[in-house]
Amino acid sequence: MPIIELQEVSKLYGFGDATTVALDEVSLAIDAGEFVAVMGPSGSGKSTLMNVIGLLDRPTHGNYKLNGRQVERLRPTRQAKARRDTIGFVFQSFNLLPKLSVLDNVALPLAYKGMSQARRQKRAAEILDRVGLADREYFMPRQLSGGQAQRAAIARALINNPNIIIADEPTGNLDSASSRLVMELLSDVHKAGNTILMVTHNPELTRYASRVVFMHDGGVIADEKSTIGEVHETLRRSMYFMPKTTEEDDLAGVSALMLAIPDKLIGQKKTAKSKKRPKTSKAKYKAVSQTRPKTKKRGKK
Amino acid sequence: MIGRSGNLRMAVESIRLAKWRSLLTMLGIIIGVVSVVTTVSLGEGAKRGILAETNQAGADLITVRPGAIGRSRDEAASLFGASYTGTLSEKDYEAVSQVPGTEQTVPFSYVTNSISKDDHKFEGGMVIGTTEGLPAALGQKLTYGAFFEDDEPQRNAAVIGQRVAEQLFGENVPIGKYFTVRGKQFIIRGIFEEFDTSPLASGSDYNSAVFIQYDVGKELTGGSDIYQLLVRPADPAQTSQVAAGITETLRTVHAGQDDFAVLEQKDKLASANDMLTLMTGFVAGIAAISLIVGGIGILNIMLVAVTERTHEIGIRKAVGATNRQILSQFLTEAVILSAAGGVLGILFSLLTNYLFRIFTTLTPVLTWPIMIAAFGVAVLVGIIFGVTPALTAARKHPIDALRHE
Repeated sequence: MPIIELQEVSKLYGFGDATTVALDEVSLAIDAGEFVAVMGPSGSGKSTLMNVIGLLDRPTHGNYKLNGRQVERLRPTRQAKARRDTIGFVFQSFNLLPKLSVLDNVALPLAYKGMSQARRQKRAAEILDRVGLADREYFMPRQLSGGQAQRAAIARALINNPNIIIADEPTGNLDSASSRLVMELLSDVHKAGNTILMVTHNPELTRYASRVVFMHDGGVIADEKSTIGEVHETLRRSMYFMPKTTEEDDLAGVSALMLAIPDKLIGQKKTAKSKKRPKTSKAKYKAVSQTRPKTKKRGKK
Repeated sequence: MIGRSGNLRMAVESIRLAKWRSLLTMLGIIIGVVSVVTTVSLGEGAKRGILAETNQAGADLITVRPGAIGRSRDEAASLFGASYTGTLSEKDYEAVSQVPGTEQTVPFSYVTNSISKDDHKFEGGMVIGTTEGLPAALGQKLTYGAFFEDDEPQRNAAVIGQRVAEQLFGENVPIGKYFTVRGKQFIIRGIFEEFDTSPLASGSDYNSAVFIQYDVGKELTGGSDIYQLLVRPADPAQTSQVAAGITETLRTVHAGQDDFAVLEQKDKLASANDMLTLMTGFVAGIAAISLIVGGIGILNIMLVAVTERTHEIGIRKAVGATNRQILSQFLTEAVILSAAGGVLGILFSLLTNYLFRIFTTLTPVLTWPIMIAAFGVAVLVGIIFGVTPALTAARKHPIDALRHE
């Protein structure tokens, strides 16, 4: 039985003419122990999907079963308890509480569980040790580097032993060295049997995933198995992140967006130019992915 | 409730981080508590003063005054002398002193308010005709000299209050000096100790009074003008019976008319207390309005805090805080603010109390119940005005709160 099961889940914002479709009848089943990378351009509904799965947001239509239980219409208190006990969140901007020490931040979910202060601090200290921040317990979040802050956030997500970790661009604000540390950590968590859902823009990171889901305009356009340790095949072939249009395309009025969609998905033959594309190297992926504009800067609050 | 201790710690922390803002918010509560506590303690002080005065005079004393006493409101008014109408007659005096069970009856007759010494005039005092039983009845000692006796040789002897000594003679001990009342010369035989006066206690201030023999006063005015009789019963336990006897006798003398009042000390005390309680309550009620203003200050600052910390609320909800836990966090903060205001208010009340005692003649009395009540009301204000912001915080949608920057 899948641990997460979405059936034709939609999320709409606004009314009438101004209605925006953030999720368009998405059906998705995720089994326990999967590491799912969710990819897609900005505004394709990745984050909304994560928020719905993480019970932070309610779907407008459709069914959502978490652990086999219908949850989208649960009372707020039950949803809060589900967030506390079965789901751990890792955000792009870390979302640590600036006024609490690292230790207290990590122990926060336990406080809401009603655990005594001594016990929860002990437990938080253990988890911090596991993510390699044993010597940063009494630091304030602003005194940590981005990578350390994200590892603290992961520690917080892990502290209740949740089945599911939802990571929304966990490396979006980190340099490549910190990214690697954070990803190795998530990978360890995955190996320990947890289910991980991760939104990312970086094709490199699909190395860690067992499954890659592509989204576009609120819908899932591709959902493929991937081999852990390798960059996902579709991405490697990559119509996705390379310079997409040529002069001829421009003249013909072909947009980059049209080219971004893999051929086999739209069942159309691509323009001849795709063959001419140079074989892409890993370095090139990286270079391209790093030129992606970052909308959020670390520390901006 | 879950996470209580954590809430307390977080509340204290967030108040500590915004010291000035918190202090200014508390100011409303502090002012409210200080004004309520000070008002009530002043009232309490006045009550104690009256009680002390009454006990000094003797709890078994019966006062007879002209004019009827009606309902309790009129009794209260009689304290200001407002309802003294008419006088008691010589006949009343004799009748009262013959009532069985009375040991001593001391008349107070009004002679004049004009006292002169050579060319010097003393206004604002009064001359009272009385008998030798007065010091005992009032429970008042003399600082210098002795009280006159009711016999012939001492017909021109007088005993004066301290202010008369100071203002008419310009010295503390003018014993043996002469002064004139209605053309008759008197010699000063004694000076009273300073009388405790409380502005609300009784009609007259004996510190600026001159006491002469009752008979002499009668001669000077050509009649008697008794405004008060003090009666001491032989047996203190029989006070009520004696008072009833006096009432009955006087009613017969007055041909059935109740145009006089017989007051036991406990009646006087009760009426004084009633009125003071009423006044204190009234002023404290006005002062309590500032507590409400303080509450609105808390409401305001908590609404600001909730808006400012929307993102924090989002994070807390994302890691599993229930609505109730968020509610309790913000409510705790509001209550801590108001409770701290209450404690500071009580400390300032103690200071105000001290200053009152140093710089004025008033003696406010702070009691535990009023301090506890003031603190309780402050906390209650925090709860009442903290609920709305806390509910706003608790009802925020998790993802909207999380996106809020």
